[in-house]
Amino acid sequence: MVYEECVTHESSWNADEALTAVYTAHYTSLVRLAALLLRDTGTAEEIVQDAFVAMHGRWHRLRDPHKALAYLRTAVVNRTRSRQRHLVVVDKHMPRSLPDEPSAEQAALRTAETDRVIEAMRTLPEKQRTVMVLRYYGDLSEAEIADTMGISRGSVKSHAARASKSLRQVLEQNL
Amino acid sequence: MNNDDPFDELMRRSLADEANRVEPTDALPEILNRAHAVRRPVVRRPWVVTAGLAAVGTAAAVGAFTVFNGNLNTANEGDAVAGAPGTTASASGAPDTPRSEPTKAPTQPPTNAKPSTTAVPKTGLREPSADAKTVPVYWLGDAIAGKDAAKASTKPTLSARSTIRLYRTWSKISGRPAFEAVRIMTTQQPNDYDYRSFWKGAQVSSVTQNDGIVTVDFKEFPQTKADEVTAALSAQQLIYTVQGALGAGNHPVQVTYRGRSGVPLFGQIDTSGPLNRAQAADVQALVSIESPTEGMLVTSPITVQGLATAFETTVNYRATNLKSRQVVASTVNTDEGQKSSGFSFPLDLKPGLWQIEAYLVSAEDGSISDLDSKTVEVVR
Repeated sequence: MVYEECVTHESSWNADEALTAVYTAHYTSLVRLAALLLRDTGTAEEIVQDAFVAMHGRWHRLRDPHKALAYLRTAVVNRTRSRQRHLVVVDKHMPRSLPDEPSAEQAALRTAETDRVIEAMRTLPEKQRTVMVLRYYGDLSEAEIADTMGISRGSVKSHAARASKSLRQVLEQNL
Repeated sequence: MNNDDPFDELMRRSLADEANRVEPTDALPEILNRAHAVRRPVVRRPWVVTAGLAAVGTAAAVGAFTVFNGNLNTANEGDAVAGAPGTTASASGAPDTPRSEPTKAPTQPPTNAKPSTTAVPKTGLREPSADAKTVPVYWLGDAIAGKDAAKASTKPTLSARSTIRLYRTWSKISGRPAFEAVRIMTTQQPNDYDYRSFWKGAQVSSVTQNDGIVTVDFKEFPQTKADEVTAALSAQQLIYTVQGALGAGNHPVQVTYRGRSGVPLFGQIDTSGPLNRAQAADVQALVSIESPTEGMLVTSPITVQGLATAFETTVNYRATNLKSRQVVASTVNTDEGQKSSGFSFPLDLKPGLWQIEAYLVSAEDGSISDLDSKTVEVVR
């Protein structure tokens, strides 16, 4: 009953109310998700803001904060993925270089362990990296990852398996 | 996956740790401002009944037929297929002669017209059904001007967006080809993640042909408010898809909303008259890989096929092994220069994940001007 009331309430939100509610609950985590994929906070913020603007425009179709979140996640993952692909192409000499190296100060705040994992993640192909970020940071199920990335659950499984295998190898070497 | 696995724990902890370093600044006011700017009502032009529309009206008097490709639940979903079917790989697909199958028109009580829209008489012939046919479906994608992408401008500008192009994929359908193609275009996710569509949410109700005009009627229009360039290209996406599926003649396309013309599409495209196909050189991707498709499992040797409009016919290609970073690169010539024509090259690749890229290099500064890429897994 409480749930029903809640849903009724949410579906009566106008686009501004919905945007404000979803923004408050998820803006930071979406920017962080995009930043993990891109390693560039400025671009991550820009991509997430674009996604919110788009969500606002289609709120009368979404009408549900859960759908809105799924929509935002897909939009953000889409855009970061195409941005990553561009970077790979543009910089052919350093195909895995990333736009924003952390400053020394920021780097010092990271633990050595995090450093190793993040470094290892950089060696993964873009799709595998995306699957891993959605799984371990986004805490999404296989089905949710498949929906978000527009690929089959089987592909999610195989990307995850390959990514885990290479990460384990790299991390063991570095230990 | 076992949650107690130390590897899982390490991944969760490290990614959370890394993520927590990012503290975005508050952007709510800016987002709301931008959202409202996008939704500002567009200036409406006075409505004119065009010659094309008049033609539809005349034909109605002669007595014609309507058909609704009604039930969405039973319609074929359409499977994406790899690459172009050999003999029909022309921009417009195989010719497909429409048969006249007169059907009684259901009499519809006239609805109250809004002042700015015009009821289009529900007339026209539906296309014949096909048991199994491969139809082209177009999507939007970024052509990637290398130098522009490198600048990574913070706000999308008109010039950055104007590098959006139409990319074609192929889908197998059974049913009415143009109707099914539009349905795939409006409901499905393109099979390459670099492609996208602003038609999500639209619901097509019929595709009919009458006197050299194709009418596509929608039960729901897309709700997206696109910018001017994207809206115009999205309209071309529909026109190319419909014309490609119908195959015969590039007839103008009249878009109607629940039988009425003049309801602006994407908030700005004037649909009071039929829309014409834009020049391929202006809207189609200058280079695209049609086979293999994204994520496909393939055995070596692979034949990569695509279309390009290349200066002096040269298309560059490169396959990169995503693990070893081994690169195989070369160039291939298209059949004809300066116009859209096919290219094809063989690749002999070891098993593994490969990214295949076909691209054009700018004659001006040697940068990559247009590109399409597919990631495939080569298996034994």
